[in-house]
Amino acid sequence: MANKSIDTIKYGLLRIIDVSGFTIFDPVVRLLFGEEPAKQTSKILKYIVIPTIFLFVCIWLWASIAPTHKTKSGQVPTPSQVIETVETNYRQYEREQEKKTAFLTTGSERDAQIKAAKERLKSLEEESKAAQSELTKVEESSLTEIENNLAPFKKEIEAIAAKLKTLTSSAKTEQTALADAIAAGTAKPETLIQAIADFETQKEALTEKRSELNKQLTEAREDPDALKAARLRANAVANEIQHTNSVIDHYEKKNREYQVNELMTKADAAAALASSSKDPKDILKAAKDQVRNTKKIEDVQEREYAPTSTVFWHQIKRSIFTVFVGFVIAAVIAIPIGMMCGLNRIAMACFTPIISIFKPVSPVVWLLIFQIIVGAFFPDPENHPLFVLSSTLPFIQDLGVNPAMVFSACTVAMCAVWPALVNTALAVSSIEQDHLNVARVLKLGFFDRLFKIIIPSSLPLVFAGLRISLGVGWMVLIAAEALSSSDGLGKFVWDEYQNGSSFSFANIIMACFIVGIIGFFLDRLMICLQRLVSFDEDGATV
Amino acid sequence: MSFLELKDVSIGFGPVSNRYEVLQNVNLSIKENEFVAVIGFSGSGKSTLMNLLAGLEKPDKGEVLLRGQPITGPGPELGMMFQNYSLLPWMSVYENIDLAVRSARPEIARSERKDYIMHYISMVKLDHAPDKKPHELSGGMRQRASLARTLCIRPEVLLLDEPLSALDALTRSDLQDEILRIWGEDKKTVVMITNDVDEAVLMTDRIVPLTMGPAATLDTPFEVNMARPRDRYTLNNNQEFIRLKTDITSYMMGLSQEKKKAAAAKVPMPDIAPKDFSLPSKRLGFKNLQAVSPASSSKA
Ligand SMILES: Nc1ncnc2c1ncn2[C@@H]1O[C@H](COP(=O)(O)OP(=O)(O)OP(=O)(O)O)[C@@H](O)[C@H]1O
Ligand SMILES: [Mg+2]
Repeated sequence: MANKSIDTIKYGLLRIIDVSGFTIFDPVVRLLFGEEPAKQTSKILKYIVIPTIFLFVCIWLWASIAPTHKTKSGQVPTPSQVIETVETNYRQYEREQEKKTAFLTTGSERDAQIKAAKERLKSLEEESKAAQSELTKVEESSLTEIENNLAPFKKEIEAIAAKLKTLTSSAKTEQTALADAIAAGTAKPETLIQAIADFETQKEALTEKRSELNKQLTEAREDPDALKAARLRANAVANEIQHTNSVIDHYEKKNREYQVNELMTKADAAAALASSSKDPKDILKAAKDQVRNTKKIEDVQEREYAPTSTVFWHQIKRSIFTVFVGFVIAAVIAIPIGMMCGLNRIAMACFTPIISIFKPVSPVVWLLIFQIIVGAFFPDPENHPLFVLSSTLPFIQDLGVNPAMVFSACTVAMCAVWPALVNTALAVSSIEQDHLNVARVLKLGFFDRLFKIIIPSSLPLVFAGLRISLGVGWMVLIAAEALSSSDGLGKFVWDEYQNGSSFSFANIIMACFIVGIIGFFLDRLMICLQRLVSFDEDGATV
Repeated sequence: MSFLELKDVSIGFGPVSNRYEVLQNVNLSIKENEFVAVIGFSGSGKSTLMNLLAGLEKPDKGEVLLRGQPITGPGPELGMMFQNYSLLPWMSVYENIDLAVRSARPEIARSERKDYIMHYISMVKLDHAPDKKPHELSGGMRQRASLARTLCIRPEVLLLDEPLSALDALTRSDLQDEILRIWGEDKKTVVMITNDVDEAVLMTDRIVPLTMGPAATLDTPFEVNMARPRDRYTLNNNQEFIRLKTDITSYMMGLSQEKKKAAAAKVPMPDIAPKDFSLPSKRLGFKNLQAVSPASSSKA
């Protein structure tokens, strides 16, 4: 009995692995359940261990080659630097979350939090002091260290300068003497020429050595590692202090409840004034104020936290949403038209020129065209019903739907429509004659024929097309966002490229990995769907 | 008065340049409630003949008549069981049959439909597998599912294209009885393709042999004048049965030998290839073509 239930678990797991497409982990599961250990171990060695080693070799290659190439935006980031930026970005995200909770906290909880934050601030300040004094110490010691390092170079440079001077003056006297001798006829002109040439080579050698020394001097002047580390630490603490201050601010003055209370006391005061006053003018004014105040209070009560900086996570969500919208548009257009083309030769003949001409057009062109066309629909984006509506829907409201997003989605749709359309047409036109014969013998009506025969039999190929479409759409989206400044991963990359800080290159590489990983999961998702709709044993190719 | 009739029917496939004539001048007249078997070698055109009767193909020449009226197209009254089963792979056995029942027998009420379908499923002994998809079935199970789908329509004419070829002897004889019972009770007209002479003699009124292709045609039929019901266990001793079986077998052997002889003993023909006026460079290609034509091969 126990054996049987273990088997169920085992085969369940294997099935999940199979459907989700991570078949490489199949031997691991089998080994865990003790099935043919020798065979599974050899499989693990071949298909998991060796590929992992290969990946590590690739990473090692990256880590060792990257620092040797200097670019305008600094050194090519190494894997560890990329991981560091991931951490930085994640910290930024966490901080925004912290501020958000601070903004929304209420009541005694808020007081407690303020107290805790202030305590933290105090300890941070102490830490900062320590770090600062440490820094000055290190700075002083490293200053003398640098001076010590520099001294020999400076000495040598001075010596060379002196040498040059003496060389020049002695050469000058020698040459004038020679010239005089030639004039007197006691020497040959060749000796003078020889002397001048000798002098030049000597001078050149000296200047070269001097410039070499200068270069070494600048290198030696660079801060020692200890100083750099101390500075980083001091910066980090200062940064943390600034953040804590901001958090406290969000607990106090910027807190929603606090703001509401503030307004309420004001309103109460005004109301009291109105009731005690005898002047009708004052009463009228007070009443008006009251109305205004209640409205204001309502506004504040509904206010959401406004993040100070767009967080990476937000951009990821927005990109995924945009690609999803574009993909759905593409599918909604492609599948019916594709079916029409597959069913009817005339429709196929009508659409073929359109498909063949527009399919190869670059996404950039589509982006510009849609930017113009879509832009015309939204002369006043702030008040357009679409955006007003989208700002009230749950989930979507945080994404900030705007015209840039709309035409990015349109571009995605335009580029993603073709694979789905062509595949659907192919799927429908290549339905097996046998199945159509069944429909003919049974005299199925149009809808039965469509829903019982044509659609089910073409679904696997249609989904294969949709899978390609989603892949294309995701690639196009990143480019579209970069060009259209629609907030998202593409724009993130573009902004990083433009701002060129010391982290931006690593950020770009990180974005590259994230785009790849998301693309991979989207593809897997489509494969799972495709497998669900395919009717043969192994209909879907992975 | 014939019920189902083929009149001088010819059919072929392919474009004019590469034409393959399958059937030529086929004449067949089937009476109402008659049970006819068609036998013939593989590739001779039996399935094509069935497609013509079902209205799935149009004849190039001649006409196919049902009750004296030309058949305009396929329909549930001409119940065809396909040789390759043609089950819809995205539907289970039950759903496949359900689709047929819904569309061909809409008068069956929703409440009765399930029992009706299950009746046919158990008739072909698939009670244990109504929810299986075709790819989960064995070849014989698929064949039975396909048979059930055809029978459940209760067509006037049953067109069975090798309906029992993939079954074991026991299941086979059970289903033979089942088909016979349906044919007897519901007064159906049945045309069945089979390559089993015993089966043909046991079940049918008439056995029509198809000559070898290309351009096959129906030869003189063998009438089976044996009393029904026929008992398959005593049949082997029945004189008439033995006579028919030997006749048909020797006829079929004769067909294949004739074919071989015809291929071997072709009269040498004069080479009447057209005079070659083409440019010398093209001549080579033409010669190569000639080398594979039958005329030149028989000469050798
Ligand atoms: N749609 C078609 N296009 C071209 N040729 C065809 C087509 N259908 C059948 N044929 C040809 O017609 C000939 C007869 O085919 P058919 O399927 O009728 O044979 P059959 O007698 O049923 O053979 P089997 O016993 O193997 O089922 C074959 O040579 C085949 O190549
Ligand atoms: Mg056949």
